[in-house]
Amino acid sequence: MDAYDALRAAVIEGDDLTARAATEELLSAGHDAQALIRGALTPAMDEVGRRFEAGEFFLPEVLVAARAMKAAQELIQPLLARSKTPPRGRVVLGTVAGDLHDIGKNLVAAMLCSAGFAITDLGVDVSPDRFVAAVGAARPQIVGLSALLTTTMPAMQQTIEALEEQNLRADVKVMVGGAPLTGVFAARIGADGYAPTAAAAVNLARELTP
Amino acid sequence: MTSRELVRRTLSFDAPPRVPRQLWLLPWACDRYPEELRAIQARFPDDIVSAPAFHEALLPVHGDPYRPGTFVDEWGCTFLNVQAGVIGEVKTPLLKSWDAHEMVRFPEERLSVQVDEVNQFCRRTDRFVLAGACPRPFERLQFLRGTENLLMDLIDQPAGLHAFLARLHEFYMRELELWARTDVDALSFMDDWGGQQAMLISPQLWRTFFKPLYRDYVAIAHQSGKAAFMHSDGYILNILPDLVEIGLDALNCQVFCMDVALLGDRFGGKLTFWGELDRQQILPGGSRAAVIAAAQRLRSAFWRPGGFIAQCEFGPGARPENVHAFFEAWETLV
Ligand code: B12
Repeated sequence: MDAYDALRAAVIEGDDLTARAATEELLSAGHDAQALIRGALTPAMDEVGRRFEAGEFFLPEVLVAARAMKAAQELIQPLLARSKTPPRGRVVLGTVAGDLHDIGKNLVAAMLCSAGFAITDLGVDVSPDRFVAAVGAARPQIVGLSALLTTTMPAMQQTIEALEEQNLRADVKVMVGGAPLTGVFAARIGADGYAPTAAAAVNLARELTP
Repeated sequence: MTSRELVRRTLSFDAPPRVPRQLWLLPWACDRYPEELRAIQARFPDDIVSAPAFHEALLPVHGDPYRPGTFVDEWGCTFLNVQAGVIGEVKTPLLKSWDAHEMVRFPEERLSVQVDEVNQFCRRTDRFVLAGACPRPFERLQFLRGTENLLMDLIDQPAGLHAFLARLHEFYMRELELWARTDVDALSFMDDWGGQQAMLISPQLWRTFFKPLYRDYVAIAHQSGKAAFMHSDGYILNILPDLVEIGLDALNCQVFCMDVALLGDRFGGKLTFWGELDRQQILPGGSRAAVIAAAQRLRSAFWRPGGFIAQCEFGPGARPENVHAFFEAWETLV
């Protein structure tokens, strides 16, 4: 098993200590930070996403994998910043107004992060105004909205309308998700995409930022 | 026939003359639809009630869990709420690590139940009475430690977690044993185990850490001739065989997240389905015809005769006319 395999395996198994050690080893052997992301971290988290969708992994396994990935990323991040490597894309993410559910949204953030996206996570109970302000400040390609309550789903539409009113809608793609949502609802409120799981959210984000 | 008798015969698949009913309420509905609610309750009275706990000692809680702002429960967990009529969420958990578990103060006040008062309550009603206690070991761990931390702890298995869980279980056993000595008809417990499409943790982890706890709770109920009732939100198909195996009598779960017909085929006749009606599509957005069709699906899946309780939750987004239509439909179904 080479060091890339070791890093991939450590992330998939959620072993943050080994992930950190393997990353250190690869970096000191002169491997490029981008290559580590492309060759180990992204494929590892894609595999984690696949296992989650297939019902082989559950939230605990995904969370410890994301933790191991972050341990590796902490070492890689300074190098990326120094080489001024741009992220795969920027995403502003949050749970809409009135809604406190964030387990799914946090998972989406972790998976997007592992796929190379830079995330601005606004947290929960985020008003349309706060989404608008964050879009103005971070200039993301994508805005991700999460809702777990049927009563907070209308806040998704209100957020899209607020982006339109501020003439920001044309600059961003809006993706939506959360337990009670459907693709039909997403289309009706004028979102650009819907994904039923965190793994599908990564594929969607990739499609929305070709 | 009294409501109590009706529920008992439902639980034992002993051909009750009609389906028992129970409406669950969140203050959201009481605030918005007081008139409609009164009409529903007058026309379709509950057959199942919860006994008040009549605690002699005051529970050390602060605030109202259903109002915006903070609420501190009797364990010292602080919930932040942003919406009137529903509950909030713990944003700053008490425990940074399980090493500190000894600092958690157990609410012994919960054990100051006045048994005579409870028994008098039971004597004065002919409805089926649930205990006024509801252990929730998984959720209590989450409230104390934060959900994501706890989920990772279940993989890391720090010693303090096991030590605390043992203490927590012992406390809940004491509480249930106390209620088992009263005249209530059933004990109940809960924990949300599912998301929309899968369980929150693997069935293996669940079986290792949590199934034994529920097995003990069911045993306490059965040893004193009482029924065991449980609630869990979400998709929990994987653990249904386990719940049947430990002898659970009635389960409230999101049957529409799973597959109603399949649940009926595999588990109908083995335990009673304590509701429900889908809260995500049908109650908030379904037509009257959709509600009636859903009730018919539930009947053909679960009614043996017996084996189903017409329960639904009037909570955020639900339409009062759909709650009404659900209970009305059952009048002609059984
Ligand atoms: C855990 C939970 C809670 C926890 C939340 C903890 C937290 N920090 O998030 C607590 C206890 C706080 C809670 C509170 C409430 N809850 Co709740 N809760 C749940 C439960 C059981 C699981 C949700 C979950 O975490 N799933 C696991 C994650 C991983 O899945 P997920 O969130 O769906 O996310 C995945 C996808 O949807 C997608 N995704 C999510 N977001 C996004 C965003 C984007 C952009 C994309 C692309 C994809 C995407 O990817 C994720 C990963 O694969 C659900 C049951 C259910 N069926 O889902 C009820 C549920 C959502 N809750 C419900 C209710 C009613 C409530 C309360 C009103 C209850 C009350 N008594 O007051 C309060 C409301 C509080 C509030 N203001 O928000 C109802 C909602 C019904 C409705 N009408 O809509 C549900 C469906 C339960 C039910 N029986 O019907 N809840």
